[in-house]
Amino acid sequence: MSHKFLRIESPAWVAEGLITEAQRQLLLARYPPDAVPAVGLLPLLGSLLVALSALSVVAANWAALPPVARLALLLSSLVGSYAGGHYFMQRGNRTLGRGLVGLGLVLFGVSIILVSQTYQLVGYDASGLLAWVVAGVALAYAHRSRMLAALTVLIGAAVQTYCTQALGSFSYATAALLAGGLGYLWWRRPDGLLSTVLSAGLLWQAALWVGVSHAKITWFFIPAMVVYAAGDWQPDRHAGRNAQAPPLIAAYLFALGLALFGETDAYAGLLRPPVLAYLGALAAVLALSVAGKKQRGRLDTLPDWLLLLPGFYLPGGLPLAIATLVVLYAHAGSVLVRAHRAGDADQLTLGTVLFVGATMVAYFKLTWAFLDKSLFFLLGGVLLLGLSWYLRRRNARVLAAAGAPGPAAKPTE
Amino acid sequence: MAPVAAAVPEAPPRFKLLPRLLVGAQVLYVLGVAGAGYATTALGKAVVLAATPADLTTLKTTDFVRLRYAVATVPRAQWQGPEAPHTRQSVYVLLASAGAPAAATVLGVYAAEPRAAAGQAVLRGWVTDVFPRTLGLRYGLERYYVPAASVLRKSTVARPLRVQVRIAPWGQARIVEVSE
Repeated sequence: MSHKFLRIESPAWVAEGLITEAQRQLLLARYPPDAVPAVGLLPLLGSLLVALSALSVVAANWAALPPVARLALLLSSLVGSYAGGHYFMQRGNRTLGRGLVGLGLVLFGVSIILVSQTYQLVGYDASGLLAWVVAGVALAYAHRSRMLAALTVLIGAAVQTYCTQALGSFSYATAALLAGGLGYLWWRRPDGLLSTVLSAGLLWQAALWVGVSHAKITWFFIPAMVVYAAGDWQPDRHAGRNAQAPPLIAAYLFALGLALFGETDAYAGLLRPPVLAYLGALAAVLALSVAGKKQRGRLDTLPDWLLLLPGFYLPGGLPLAIATLVVLYAHAGSVLVRAHRAGDADQLTLGTVLFVGATMVAYFKLTWAFLDKSLFFLLGGVLLLGLSWYLRRRNARVLAAAGAPGPAAKPTE
Repeated sequence: MAPVAAAVPEAPPRFKLLPRLLVGAQVLYVLGVAGAGYATTALGKAVVLAATPADLTTLKTTDFVRLRYAVATVPRAQWQGPEAPHTRQSVYVLLASAGAPAAATVLGVYAAEPRAAAGQAVLRGWVTDVFPRTLGLRYGLERYYVPAASVLRKSTVARPLRVQVRIAPWGQARIVEVSE
């Protein structure tokens, strides 16, 4: 609780007889003003400035340095930052220690790049930078650190982007290291933030793979939904849901795009992969996901798959747009129903936003010539008003129900 | 909070050794990259490529110049591959007069690595443009990091350059020297 809040609010509590003046003093003493961390920040900022000045001195004279001096400079800063990291970790300052180890990992990649630059070496494949990803995965394991794992995801994304854009080839080794190495770490030590970062990183790899192999963009959803299915199997429900957020967002945006632009057959034509191969692969992933949901008792999230319905096989034009809208409505409705059952206010908000989003798309897309526009606007307005009334009523009921047993009812979901 | 932190068991001993081994491996790897540079100079085939600097005025703000190679544009007829070339494809360029003081010329652009006879060398590159009559190529040698003592820093007038390249037996290439 903030000291400022207490100081401002507590006199009223005393006046209203909630607490005594002595209790107020005790509370104020319990939550002292937090000026101390700001003082601790000063040496850190100071050393950052000194480091920056050293960096600019080196950068300004880089061209004049002989290759051996450059090599020595890079290696000594590499070893120095790792040694510092190990030192602070042994002293018990794990945050600073891991931060320095992370800096060492970044310096390793910088060293590879700058040394190849110094010797004007050309890299023809990913092997030079692959060592960077390998080092990242190994360090994440050695220090059991989720921060280093997240950093490695970023490094993997950078390496893969370079490979596909500059070298014109996809590095399967990088993708496999991220999915296998860091995926296993995530499986054993689930964590909310790492789940989302790793999942988004894997989707980035999948997107680059689709781009470099000139495949139809719908193939992207096969690896994306494999990531989703992994979230179903993850024993930690929170981490699993966090890993599923990026694939779901991608699928939702795709469905939204289909509803908005699906009317032109040319766009839908870009999306149609060979029917049997695509549907077969999708069905296999669906089976994997359903098995996971069943195993962990999460079948309530099955309507997520509505977004993956391959509506783009329908003939383009109005049928496709309407079918996609129906799917969007059904999905938003399923989110709302699930939120009501669980009494989850955040999910309720999300469901409402999804519902309003689908309505907006319908509002802009389905103003046909034969339907009088004013009638459509009237319908849309009535629909939104009705929805808001319904949700407010449900919300009040849910909150009242959740308020009675107290917050202890929440974790059981 | 402090007693809780103390109660957490320290990482087992093998994990104390592992981070050190990892640091050692990284240092060796960086040294290996530098070693590949020296080895390419010592063991590689020498090739001279004709080039012109794109814009020397950029040297005031950056420490590299872009080089435009004569072999960056080749006639489409020199393409040797089962399929038509496409952009970003990686290719092998067979060069004549390796080891000679004269600038090398292109004998052919291959999709798969060709065998180089005596006096020939294979330089790897990428297709940047496919035109009806010509192919645009990139070799990864376009960015030349100019040492402080280089002649390129003396004037801003772009003159033809001789770029000495070494191509290692394992395929890596590097610029050894740039002269006028």
